[in-house]
Amino acid sequence: MTRTAGRFSIAPWLLLGPFLACFGVFFALPLVQSVGLSMRQTFGPAASEFVGAANYRNVMADPLFWKAVRNTVVFTVGNVIIQLPLALLLAMLLNRPGLRWRGALRAIFFAPVLVGVVFVAMIFGVIFEKRTGLVNQALHSMIGWDLDFPWLQRYVMPAMIIASLWQYLGFNMVYFLGALQNVRKELIEASTLDGAGPWQRFRHVVVPQIRPVASFVVLLSIVGSFQLFELPYVLFNGTAGPDNRGLTIVMYLYQMGFDQGDLGYASAVGWLLAALLIVFALLQRRLAGEAGRGARA
Amino acid sequence: MSGTTRHDRTHWGVYLLLMLGAALTLVPFAWLISGAFKRNEDFFTSTFLPRGEGALGIAWDKLTLDNFRVLLDTSGIVRSMLNSVFLSSVTAILATLVCAAAGFALAKHEFRGRRVVTGIVLAAVIVPPTLLLAPGYQLLFKLNLLDTFSGLIIPAIAPAFGVYLFRQAAASSVPNELLEAARLDGCGELRIFFTVVMPLLRPMAGAFMLITFLGVWNNFINPQIVLQSESKLPLAVAVSQLRGVYYQDYGLQIAGTLASVVPVLALFMLLQREFVSGLTSGAVKE
Amino acid sequence: MIDALIDMIRRMSASRGVMVIALLGIASSIAVAVLPARPPSGVQMWTFARLHKQMYDPIIADWPAELRPEITLMSFPALERRMLQGFLARTPTAELIECERRSAARAFVGPLESVGFTDLTDRLRSEGLLDQINGPSFGPWSSRGRIFGLPHDVHPVMLGYRADLVEAAGIDVSTIETWDDFVRVMGPLMSERGPDGKPVRYLLNLWEDKEDLIEVLLLQAGGGYFDEQERVRIATPVNARVISTIVMWCRGPGRIAADAADFSASGNQLKAEGYVVAAFMPDWMCNVWKNEIPQLSGKMKLMPLPAWTRGGRRTSVWGGTMLGISRTAPDQERLWRIASKLYLSPELARSLYTTGDIITPVRTLWNDPIFDEPDPYFSGQRKGRDYIALAPDVPNRTSSPYNVMAKLRVQTAVIALSTHAMRIGATSVEQLEPRAMELLKVAENQVRAQIKRNVFLDSGGDATDGGGS
Repeated sequence: MTRTAGRFSIAPWLLLGPFLACFGVFFALPLVQSVGLSMRQTFGPAASEFVGAANYRNVMADPLFWKAVRNTVVFTVGNVIIQLPLALLLAMLLNRPGLRWRGALRAIFFAPVLVGVVFVAMIFGVIFEKRTGLVNQALHSMIGWDLDFPWLQRYVMPAMIIASLWQYLGFNMVYFLGALQNVRKELIEASTLDGAGPWQRFRHVVVPQIRPVASFVVLLSIVGSFQLFELPYVLFNGTAGPDNRGLTIVMYLYQMGFDQGDLGYASAVGWLLAALLIVFALLQRRLAGEAGRGARA
Repeated sequence: MSGTTRHDRTHWGVYLLLMLGAALTLVPFAWLISGAFKRNEDFFTSTFLPRGEGALGIAWDKLTLDNFRVLLDTSGIVRSMLNSVFLSSVTAILATLVCAAAGFALAKHEFRGRRVVTGIVLAAVIVPPTLLLAPGYQLLFKLNLLDTFSGLIIPAIAPAFGVYLFRQAAASSVPNELLEAARLDGCGELRIFFTVVMPLLRPMAGAFMLITFLGVWNNFINPQIVLQSESKLPLAVAVSQLRGVYYQDYGLQIAGTLASVVPVLALFMLLQREFVSGLTSGAVKE
Repeated sequence: MIDALIDMIRRMSASRGVMVIALLGIASSIAVAVLPARPPSGVQMWTFARLHKQMYDPIIADWPAELRPEITLMSFPALERRMLQGFLARTPTAELIECERRSAARAFVGPLESVGFTDLTDRLRSEGLLDQINGPSFGPWSSRGRIFGLPHDVHPVMLGYRADLVEAAGIDVSTIETWDDFVRVMGPLMSERGPDGKPVRYLLNLWEDKEDLIEVLLLQAGGGYFDEQERVRIATPVNARVISTIVMWCRGPGRIAADAADFSASGNQLKAEGYVVAAFMPDWMCNVWKNEIPQLSGKMKLMPLPAWTRGGRRTSVWGGTMLGISRTAPDQERLWRIASKLYLSPELARSLYTTGDIITPVRTLWNDPIFDEPDPYFSGQRKGRDYIALAPDVPNRTSSPYNVMAKLRVQTAVIALSTHAMRIGATSVEQLEPRAMELLKVAENQVRAQIKRNVFLDSGGDATDGGGS
């Protein structure tokens, strides 16, 4: 450490200055304001009236909000339990010694990450169409799948989980790949000499070593999934789809705040979303912790 | 000997799985590319390129550049492309400088308030960005920044996540002796930052710039809320508007999508190594 | 300082990522600086329909420059969002905004004085336009007794049917007067079965999740979501009857409905295959079919909707567009001249019909011979006359900003009723009505709760409605 302690130094503040200014004005200030805003009813940013805790009461009493919560949770859980194991599997396959075309394969799996979610929605909106869509047509010709399977009418969340699987599988894979490359070879070799099979090696040597990264990826996945908005918004032309099957918490927030102009109500939704996210993150930490103790035992 | 055969057999299965996965990943791209060159009436008659008499059993004469022509003529896509490049690159450059400076200060300077600022940065990383949508919008309204590029760029140049990344990078790759030596030479702190620290942080800077560039390029909700004028919209918003309600021009939508995706794909192919290492660097140390 | 920066750039140049992005940043900054976003010249007008722009451009081409608006086409959600943002946050909007019913209603959420459109009521009255224009066409643009837009259309609904199939089966549609007649008379068309044992075709293009069609049928039956005083009225016997019937059509043992989605390639394919015999056709939908399913030309015909009861209403209404003037725009006089010149012109009335199959709401223009021309797509029917004959009967509609919400909550109710019907194996409409009433009550209470929450809606509107919750 540089020895500037003890006397006031301008240098660190100069370096921090631009960050603190922007962060303060465009992050901290609105964050603080949103507490007050969540207790007002507004019509656009100009007209507002104090309503106290009514916003929170009304959000909690609106069955549509709970539908949004349910949809979001379904999407999040589906994403985590389907996508992450697949990403890990893919990373392990790619991490095999002596594999050829590793670079090219990694680039292919990573490519969808570069496609913005708006564009993913544009693509999958057509791919998931009944009858003419690529998914139904391919499945129909392979396994006699129903050509009229209503992905975007009834099975909205599964459709979105698939779209998001395509988009983010490579992203999560890259994290796992990085972690696997850091697994110490000696440990694997030692356990092989001890007579451990592939599954035991995976469970007792690999898993403990990639745990920090895995736990980070799960958290990232949860936080990301909770922000789901653009995908249904573009898929359903600015609505939440039939019977609000594509309604997510952020879309509910958007509809209330920007379609109906009630920024106060939207702020209340935002705080409830943050609370839910914290609950989920804590839950994940606890689960990961227990699994960790289990594995070590 | 038996060991090698077993090894080969596993590899065969591994390749099969990987190829299958890669094929599934590439299908939407193939579909996207072929769709962009199809006429609307051929759009659904064949999955990829229209079948016909031409070479490889494909009706090459049915392919058309009309979708791109219409795209260029009607939708102001060129301007949107410029807007996207501008917003993404300028935000990336500024965010990198701002975050690197702050991260360096937090890692390498001892000062009163350091712990508090570090704590705030760490806490801010987990705040969901949507929480700021409504109050942020109201703030931009009060500051008269709605429908301006500044209203999009300035709030985006100080992500706490970036400061956190640069703090990690500076702690591990900037040796104190070098800083001491520079100070003994009489260098000012800002000069040290630019000429000594930034070059050392180069790998992280490259990766972070790319991540930020990509993030801004693909961001939809912020420009959707902040911008208003047709001539300021970036691609993500402009292309999403090609999706009609009472009329679907599939070819046009797909061409617009392709035009928006290709630049970042090209950028990534060019800079793949830096990109991937940057993405993962945040996760290595938790 | 500058030399320090240059030094840094020199040392950083080993990173290709940094260099590429830095170059892009510099080049694009220069481009943005030298190519400033051109401020639009002349009067701006927004529309969401490609067809409208195609119609208007030739009409305004020879207008004097100071009256000629520059028309910008954008997607429906984009227009809605930009319009609302302009009204709420005072960012720039076009002076003239053509918008759909759903978007217009969103502008009516707040206090009357903050509605972003210019109040046209007095002007319409003093120029005698209230009598010249078809009455029901004003409904969606009126809030709390004031009118905020010039209507673009009437949009009466008829039933389009596959004349080739119907006539081949020897069916005479003139014997159909009610929906019961329709089911009975058309029934034989469903006898052909596919390999899976299901009918090859169904009688009606309708499904339980089609909120637009649910509204069409409710309005036809005299139901709906709001009464004349804009009070929520969802849980009514009429509504319960209609949604129970819809569910029986979709899920009952005598199922007649199937889903061939509009505006989608797959739906068009199904329509062309004759999967559905009849479909709800507002005037504008004729144009959609002509463009998207040209192969059905000469095979289609139109008939008035079957009524819910004998002697009942034979039409309904679906969709609607208005032209509004931004309240904050300067030179309102000129904008009104442009708006009325465009919307009331005989050229537009003709063009609306010839290029869009849309009937003008201006009654004084209804005697134009263009409406008597036979339409080859519809087997030579003089459909213009038929739509005009139904125009005065078009049901009145609300402009409530809560209509979209009500529509979606009722859609949810219908889907729930449908699940219920399948669970109990319902065999009659009467059997479903009590449950329908309960579900509608839930929907009504939810909508009422949202309205009650609004502290800005002043008297005369929904705020006075306390009953029932």
